[in-house]
Amino acid sequence: MARLIRTEKEVEGRYEEVWLVVEEDPLEQWPAGPREIVGRPATRKSGPARVRGEVRFTADLKLPGMLQAVVLRSPYAHARVKTIDLAPALALPGVRAAIGPGEASGLEEEIGYSGAAVAAVAADTFRQARAAIEAIEIEWEELEIVLDADEAVRREQFTAPPRQYERGDVDKALAEADVVVEATYRTQSVLHNSMETHQAICEWTGDILNVYISTQFIWGVRDAVAETLEMPPDKVRVVCEFMGGGFGSKNGPDEYTFVAAELAKRTGRPVRCALTRREESTAAGNRNATIQRLRAGARSDGTIVALDGEFTNAVGWSGWNASTEGPMKMLYDCENVRTVTYGAKINTPPMKAFRAPGFVEGTFGLECLVDELAAKLDMDPLELRRRNYAATNEGTPISSKELEECYRRAEPHWERRHEVRSRSDAVWKRGVGMASQIWYGGGGPPSYAWVRIGSDGRATVITAMQDIGTGTRTAMAQIAAEELRLPLDKVDVVLGDSARGPYASISAGSSTLPSMGPAVRAAAADAREQVEDIAEQRGMPRDAPVHEVVDLLEDAQILGKGARGPNPTGMSVLTFGVHVVEVAVDVETGEVVVDRVAAIHDVGRIVNPLGASSQVEGGVIQGIGHTLSEDRLLDPETGRVLTSTLDSYRMPTIADVPEIVCEFVDKPDTHLTNLGSKGLGEPPIVPIAAAIANAIRDATGADIYELPISREEMLRALERAKEKERRGAPAAV
Amino acid sequence: MELLRPSSVSEIPSNSLLLAGGTEVVPLLQDGLLSAATLVDVRGVVPRGVSGNVIGAGTTLGELEVQPGIPDALREACRLAASPQLRNMSSLGGNLLQATRCWYWRLDYPCRLHGGDRCHAREGEHREHAIFANDFCASAHPSDIAAALVALGARLRTNRRELAVEELYRLPDESDRRTTTLEDGELILEVELPAVDASVYLKAMNRKRWSFPQVGVAVARIGGETRIALAGVAPIPWRIDGIEALDTATPLPRTEWKLPLARALVNRALASLG
Repeated sequence: MARLIRTEKEVEGRYEEVWLVVEEDPLEQWPAGPREIVGRPATRKSGPARVRGEVRFTADLKLPGMLQAVVLRSPYAHARVKTIDLAPALALPGVRAAIGPGEASGLEEEIGYSGAAVAAVAADTFRQARAAIEAIEIEWEELEIVLDADEAVRREQFTAPPRQYERGDVDKALAEADVVVEATYRTQSVLHNSMETHQAICEWTGDILNVYISTQFIWGVRDAVAETLEMPPDKVRVVCEFMGGGFGSKNGPDEYTFVAAELAKRTGRPVRCALTRREESTAAGNRNATIQRLRAGARSDGTIVALDGEFTNAVGWSGWNASTEGPMKMLYDCENVRTVTYGAKINTPPMKAFRAPGFVEGTFGLECLVDELAAKLDMDPLELRRRNYAATNEGTPISSKELEECYRRAEPHWERRHEVRSRSDAVWKRGVGMASQIWYGGGGPPSYAWVRIGSDGRATVITAMQDIGTGTRTAMAQIAAEELRLPLDKVDVVLGDSARGPYASISAGSSTLPSMGPAVRAAAADAREQVEDIAEQRGMPRDAPVHEVVDLLEDAQILGKGARGPNPTGMSVLTFGVHVVEVAVDVETGEVVVDRVAAIHDVGRIVNPLGASSQVEGGVIQGIGHTLSEDRLLDPETGRVLTSTLDSYRMPTIADVPEIVCEFVDKPDTHLTNLGSKGLGEPPIVPIAAAIANAIRDATGADIYELPISREEMLRALERAKEKERRGAPAAV
Repeated sequence: MELLRPSSVSEIPSNSLLLAGGTEVVPLLQDGLLSAATLVDVRGVVPRGVSGNVIGAGTTLGELEVQPGIPDALREACRLAASPQLRNMSSLGGNLLQATRCWYWRLDYPCRLHGGDRCHAREGEHREHAIFANDFCASAHPSDIAAALVALGARLRTNRRELAVEELYRLPDESDRRTTTLEDGELILEVELPAVDASVYLKAMNRKRWSFPQVGVAVARIGGETRIALAGVAPIPWRIDGIEALDTATPLPRTEWKLPLARALVNRALASLG
């Protein structure tokens, strides 16, 4: 039965209070462990079609009469358009329409970063449109720019008021601590670099706006477009059948969608607006840089008594102040914690959510600091972490927490450090490091699914969700097949179109499986019950095979529906894990090689172990890029992005991928849903940077304070370590 | 735009833009740094393949990296360059003529190499730039193969002359911003290698594949002579007499890290040749 509740909704660590109609979740959880289909490895349902190039991404769509739009972007980091003349563009061949500031959402008169959208042109070809934007005449008034986040904080130039938190008495605890460590950590700005760039095709059919878009949130795009264009939401149809990566950067419609919608309206033709790779590097969002000034105090027995952090997020011209302080508040059982988090408003491209925003950066600082503490206490880093285990989340019960089990499973990997270190020689120093992971990932209502069974004995799961490349179709088919007791190849999944299925959740915040999976299972259970009723009427056992029960249905169909139930009240839903990393460092050339990563995660029930391992491998590889080689650089004078191509912005290649060992606790979260699964999209990228940095310290004695650990940073850290040894200073700062 | 595919040098019109593999020219055309009414595919004109100690300038890096008969430094420089896809397309001659990866130059800042009056990298973001000869322009030469050929004492045959590979390059200055001595209409046809006793190429990269040299070091033993050339440290391939020459480097604040790196690689390269 539907029930109206007031509840807290969490996405990417941001909470809001909302009214929700939820349906109860009456199904008992399956017992723990692998079932017939759920919990067993399944290859991707769309795999063969993908490798044959048969699936259609937004980038592949070509609608009849479609025009190409190109956006004019500001060369200045802060400026105002004094005058703009679109006429020279309109006079050029092939040009069908041009729009300027204020004529589509996202085209601005005052721009706050280099690359911000100002105007746009639609033409028959991309080349014509590009030539046309170069012909637009603009008179600019340049304004003062601030690129330095610390400077913005000094000026109190914030995107939102500073966020402050305190429990206990930090000053007193630090004064009484036996050991205090203090350090400043810096993380760089990195780019999502989705393989498919941000893009949309808009087409008006009557008063319906069709939006074909590469997105992580079909329904969010529908609502945002409807609100911005002041249309009834059901007049906006959003389609995303397949998409080439988002990592948090494709949660909304953005300027390219509004540009395409407006130009389509003016020309009466479909319009594509697709970012180029250079635009993708500038105007599609980024993981913002951070500065973290941290202190920790402990008693000599290893009890952490105080954690103190001042965090500055270099947010950019807009964006939100991510929870970089989150791990410091949540990871350890510490009575006295104080944090302040500044969101610096600077003239750089806006941040967007990027795979565990805030927690990736904050875990690097915190978990490096904890290893410094372990060194100063002369205590095993794993033992120190165990001694400060948090049983609750700041006093709130946790729906399920298996971090202790992750630590237990980490032991054999951690034990390897003696053997790894012994393989060091004069040039290559080897070591092992670890870091813990905490993050959200519980998902939540609302989300709905339908299941249709025909007389052919095949079932189709229908829901208007998106598969962002994580194997969503496969996992949903497994859940439905398990509940229906059908073979996996008898279940299809239809998704990707707001006009052809019920509401489905965002695919961000590690929420797809925990939000959608229970709804799919409920829909399948509803259909299954109907099948059983028919079986009974036919004098068959209730658990007779589906195809034998439905074979005489002809055109009649069994229709099941299901909804995601509420999250447990008064409980935190969190994911946990630990990474143990083995590295080798060439102490003469500063080369860092990651040899092996053991990634152990607790995300509740594992639906598809193969897909789950892929998620972990992807997170680890992306994290290695963040840790070692990726760095979005700006010109310090103009604020322009300098690394806007894939040869200058360096993501790992397949040759950089180490041995990755994935392990899952695979214990259902008994409080969460009928499925007991939490999300896994983000957890594997959270601890990797700190684990690598801690392994480097283990190998070389060099403390790492900055990402990326380029050769420059590595050689500098080695110099610092030598200097420290000469001075005979203690291990920690 | 028109594409010509001539079968002899004489058919190449003057003032046309030449390309072989296109791995450098095509992106520069797309970014508007090059423009041309006529593109000339020179693959029908430039020799391809290895014959004794002569290598056709049209030979791809992919072909050279599996050639047993060429000096180790050249083969290794080819193997470590770019990515397999790029090496399958890119030619030896084209590789020698590639432009710097300096982001300011690539983004068309009005820098000295583009005819302007300042080097944006010197005061700006220069962590990947030069430690030698960086006063006028701080760009770093990206060719592994050029450094290898300079160390190997290789010579070039063009449609007009013969010259040492070293003579192909010149430092840009106020009066002439070019980094090569190639004349308009001149085309590299062949590379000739002397008899080499032993050689090696070592390269520091920022990932395991598809990285331009942070520092590349080529060392060759020829007769009694040891020749050393570096990539990624100066606006052109940079020859040094010995490791002491590194003491004369003039690094910028954020290129100082390249100096210990270069020193380590030169030492290793010399040691590996015994």
